Amino acid sequence: MDVGFSMSNSGPGQELAFEQAKRVIQKFIQRQVFAESKDELGLVLFGTDHTKNPLAEDGQYQNISIYRHLMMPDFELLEEIEHQLQPGSQHADWLDALVVCMDLLQKETVGKKYERLNIALLTDLNTLACADQLDVIIGNLKKAGITLQFFLPFPVDADAEGDGGGDGAGPQNPPPGGKGLSREQKQGLEMVKQVMTSLDDEDGLDEVHTFSEAVKKLSIFKPIERRPMAWPCQLTIGSSLSIRIIGYKAVCEEKFKKSWAVVEAESHQKDDVKRETVFCLNDDNETEVEKEKTIQGFQYGSDIVPFSKVDQEQMKYKSDGKSFAVLGFTKQETIHRHHFMGNQVLKVFAPKDDEHAGVALSSLIHALDRLKMVAIVRYVYDRRSNPQVGAAFPCIKQKYECLLYVQLPYMEDLRQFTFPSLENNKKFSPSEAQLSAVDALISSMMLVKEGEDGEKEDIFKVNSIPNPQFQRLFQCLHHRCVNPGTPLPPVEPWLKRMLDCPQAVSACCYDFLKEMKRCFPVKEVLQKKEQKTSAVVFGKNDEPEAKKLKLDEQDKFSLGEISEGNVTSVGSVNPAKDFHTLIQQKTISFEQACEQLTHRIEQLLGNRRTEYYMKTITCVQAFREQAVKTSNAELFNNYMQSLKKRVPDWNLQEFWGLLAQDALTLISKDEVESSSVSKQEANQFLLFEENVEAAAGPTPEDGGDVDDLLDMM
Amino acid sequence: MADWNAYYPKEDDEVEQEEGEESVGDYKSSGRDSLVFLVDASKEMFIKGEDGEPSNFDMTMQCVRSVYTSKIISSDKDLIALVFYGTEQSKNPRNTFKHVYVYHDLDSPGAQRVQNIDSLRGEEGAQLAAETMGSGQTSLGDALWCCYNLYSDIKLRLSHKRLMIFTCRDDPHGGDSTRDIRARTKAADLKGTGVVIDLMHLKKPGGFDVSCFFCDIVSPPEDERELGLQLEPCGKLEDLKNRVRAKEMKKRVQSRLTFSLGDGMNIAVGVYLLVKTATKPQAVRLYAETNEPVRTKTRLFHTQNGSLLLPSDTKRAQVYGKKQIVMEKGEVDEIKKFDDPGLVLIGFKPMDCLKLHHHIRPSLFIYPEEEQVTGSSCVFTALLQKCSERNVFALCKYTSKLNTPPRFVALIPQREVLDSSQVQAAPAGFHAIYLPYADDKRTLDVHDCPTASDEQVDKMKQIVHKLRFRYRSDAFENPVLQQHYRNLEALALDMCAPEAIEDFTMPKVKMMDDRLGPLVQEFKDLVYPPNYNPESKTAAKRKQADAEGAVDKKPKVEISEDELRAHVAKGTLSKLTVPVLKDACKHFGVRTTGTKKAELIEALLAQLN
Repeated sequence: MDVGFSMSNSGPGQELAFEQAKRVIQKFIQRQVFAESKDELGLVLFGTDHTKNPLAEDGQYQNISIYRHLMMPDFELLEEIEHQLQPGSQHADWLDALVVCMDLLQKETVGKKYERLNIALLTDLNTLACADQLDVIIGNLKKAGITLQFFLPFPVDADAEGDGGGDGAGPQNPPPGGKGLSREQKQGLEMVKQVMTSLDDEDGLDEVHTFSEAVKKLSIFKPIERRPMAWPCQLTIGSSLSIRIIGYKAVCEEKFKKSWAVVEAESHQKDDVKRETVFCLNDDNETEVEKEKTIQGFQYGSDIVPFSKVDQEQMKYKSDGKSFAVLGFTKQETIHRHHFMGNQVLKVFAPKDDEHAGVALSSLIHALDRLKMVAIVRYVYDRRSNPQVGAAFPCIKQKYECLLYVQLPYMEDLRQFTFPSLENNKKFSPSEAQLSAVDALISSMMLVKEGEDGEKEDIFKVNSIPNPQFQRLFQCLHHRCVNPGTPLPPVEPWLKRMLDCPQAVSACCYDFLKEMKRCFPVKEVLQKKEQKTSAVVFGKNDEPEAKKLKLDEQDKFSLGEISEGNVTSVGSVNPAKDFHTLIQQKTISFEQACEQLTHRIEQLLGNRRTEYYMKTITCVQAFREQAVKTSNAELFNNYMQSLKKRVPDWNLQEFWGLLAQDALTLISKDEVESSSVSKQEANQFLLFEENVEAAAGPTPEDGGDVDDLLDMM
Repeated sequence: MADWNAYYPKEDDEVEQEEGEESVGDYKSSGRDSLVFLVDASKEMFIKGEDGEPSNFDMTMQCVRSVYTSKIISSDKDLIALVFYGTEQSKNPRNTFKHVYVYHDLDSPGAQRVQNIDSLRGEEGAQLAAETMGSGQTSLGDALWCCYNLYSDIKLRLSHKRLMIFTCRDDPHGGDSTRDIRARTKAADLKGTGVVIDLMHLKKPGGFDVSCFFCDIVSPPEDERELGLQLEPCGKLEDLKNRVRAKEMKKRVQSRLTFSLGDGMNIAVGVYLLVKTATKPQAVRLYAETNEPVRTKTRLFHTQNGSLLLPSDTKRAQVYGKKQIVMEKGEVDEIKKFDDPGLVLIGFKPMDCLKLHHHIRPSLFIYPEEEQVTGSSCVFTALLQKCSERNVFALCKYTSKLNTPPRFVALIPQREVLDSSQVQAAPAGFHAIYLPYADDKRTLDVHDCPTASDEQVDKMKQIVHKLRFRYRSDAFENPVLQQHYRNLEALALDMCAPEAIEDFTMPKVKMMDDRLGPLVQEFKDLVYPPNYNPESKTAAKRKQADAEGAVDKKPKVEISEDELRAHVAKGTLSKLTVPVLKDACKHFGVRTTGTKKAELIEALLAQLN
């Protein structure tokens, strides 16, 4: 990474190239740490005030220092980068730095097994590099099989546009500072192109990235790495026909690799906590008995039958090992989609090196495909596992063909419940008008749109969304690690956005939903018996009464708030009222009360739904009222201003519109003397410039698969 | 993993538990079923059939036994009683009735009862019955009255009451009209309290004439579907003897949720499970000396001072990048929270967007809850109808409960299906299919494979054609469960060996070979070269591997202390293999309890740091 003088010098209003580059590195290391990647990495800084590298001699390779040697990344490194990495005031030749990196890679990979060597160079190219050795360097890179990536503050074609247009700045990609590239940068860029294209003729320039695009893509934490395990077996049909196959898990719910350890609250030591499980009789004294004196039993009607583990093991069903045996073939339509069992899908191929098996399997796949049939098979993973009955579907893709295996239910797994008929019930059957309202709604909410060229485009692909649970966990872990002692951050806006109805759809279905609401009278019923729960059932909490006991402390707390009594903080049920009460009671300071209220406002806004907006509006109203009453305009105005800034990011345009309707604007001088806001400013405050929205948040998922890029790093 | 889950049961366990509790959930179908067997013990019942066929009494006992054993497994809380009438001896609660012998009171069945019935079977059984009960005068009226009392003594809520009369005499009172009338009155009383009376008429020389007496006793058939009396006696008996060893599940709603269509348009739905992997029932721990169940208590202690730790005295931690990150239990839950529980409509997609491989968990079933939000059913029905007509599914975000991250589900419409006799075969509603996230898909290296020629495919088509069958989802029993239940039965009833199971998952190789005939060889000739043997190849490989393993079972792996320390310093210990790590542990005298890689590394780090 270039930390030289120019990196921390940029035009007004521009983020320092140094900070950008630092963030790219941080994000990258974060991903590596959380993906528990075994990749090692080192960090070489150039443009540093001092020199620390083994090649430095006789004034050569000056101002380049190795910050960290090749090893697995950890949080220590992250913290060091966060707190210790400082910009330097010198310049260094980036080609020299490259040589130091190559040297580092070569020396420190001796005796190690590796798949790939890569150097990522982050610089603004503002230092003139000495091109004498360029050919030698390229030669050595090729020889050592080292790949190269450049990260620059400007796009690689900025230069070309500059030449063509004459003003040096394309409309979409303005280079930093709004001015054209310096002479050094242009020259450097030429050299970058030369290096990259000579390493890879065609796609070399694909590995030159801008800082901002890299940060955006790196924001998504890397999914946990899993190598597919091959399962070799034989597909058998009858006693004499068998085909060698290899099965792979193709789809399987990914769970956390790590679990939470229980540690002592003070010492944070796992070893300080000891778990003890004791067995006791069901008598008054709860007499404890030793584990060795207990055996296992099973309920048999009203009796309990002792059935020791050993006996169970001996008497249990034993399968004869691995199997993928065809029981018969049946029509595809007899297999119901909702009868898929288990939690995985297997793909079954022929072994790579066995073309005869390939041909045999291919005949089966094509035969099934043409007859629209499936094979019902007995699948046993290994000797110790239970047999399954499942269906093997033919799957023919452009690139490959295989069988898709899914488990099917056993008789014991099916539950024959009957439900009252819906369509034959006059009370529930919808009218023509109602049906057409639904029809219109469906049309307006189609997520797959056919383009002009007949190409179908899916605007909400679930299988390209990263599991939000992992993203959120890593975000929180990282936050806790880097900012200890502070509360956890809210869910990142891009993640929330990704999980919501795409704007394109929610915008155009609005009218049709209105029509639906008009057509269908729906009314919430409060049941006498379950009054307490029903109140929360709707949109809040569906746990039945008996389960209440199990709720964790947090919920008990909020339950406590719901129950009548003195108000001690701004609760979630009626925050505005609580706020008023608190101000009157004066148990806590005005500032504290405001803070609690704004906290609730943020929570409510986080839901981004109309029903919550109304509640939020009453909160803002209460805030404003009390602020005017206590002549404390500053707090309210500041908060509103900060809220406005977040409107595009949080997608709060609708909410802002409601605020405008109610004219809940800033408190002006006219209302509270101490306010620094004029009446006119206040009036204009609620107008929202359209262009702000347009500039906001480009979608993070655009531009290819994130991993393709980052796996190269 | 282990230590965390042991204290806080896994999510799955919780679901399991939920199902066990019958008090929560759907109240409508709660209560227990009850069944009284009223068996004729007259001399006629003990007459053996021609050709050594078992007597009617013997057959009845067989039936009763199989109902007992089925009930024990399917719904062990149901109540069953066995009452004999027309006996010499009398035995009933207040001994007010002559010639009525209550053999088993109305109670949930257990092993003892099954053994009792076993003792009444066969030659010796008949003898035992003659000794204990004998045959005497018949008064069906008294017997029915006695049964009436059995029912009224039960304080539990009963959802279904049924009485089955087993007899081979169509005129039990021999024309005594007073006793006939008395029996009719008592039968009417019973029916008045909701008891359904059923007749199991057994073989009688000359045929059993229902119309002569019993038509006034039994309950009229509920509807045309139940053929009732028309059934041949044997048919009904066979039905009873057919044993079902599957746990019956009461229809229960998993949760009631809001289904939000957007813009505050909310309806209420219930989530049900129509398929769920059935597992062996939970084992109970018993005290070996008395066989009484014991409870487990789990407590947390402070290792240093031995004090009891409350959950609030602990925090949760994970280690990433050599650093321990600590959070409160509440925070760990908070991290998992995204939305309130519910279904949120995202949009619609054509059905062909739902691919076969979009599968990670068994599906759910969604049905409207009119009781929570009136009008829900109408909206739901309209949606169902239109989705089905347009062949689209609804894509929804699904948050199952508090502090659970969202999953996306495809709601596929299911119209009601009735079978030939107008019985519901599939209820109307939406099936919710779980969709995988990006992380759930695994990237596989696919390789080019040769494609079969038309000739080869056609040959295979013939094979496929020969082995066609009609798949029914309930055709396969789980052999593991069936074996378990039979083992349990054998142990409980002191049988010398468990009944054999039929393993439906095994291919019927012989039959398949016969059907295929020469086709297999023809196909093999088309695709395999003459000396190719798909089985031998892997077998040979394994043998080779085994042989190598035998010579040098444990390849000596060693690592110098310096190297090890270098790895420790760089945090690259995990790059070493388990044998190397184990070896290193031995070398440094590190005692490890675990054999997992992470445990070995932890132990080594503790030693070397």
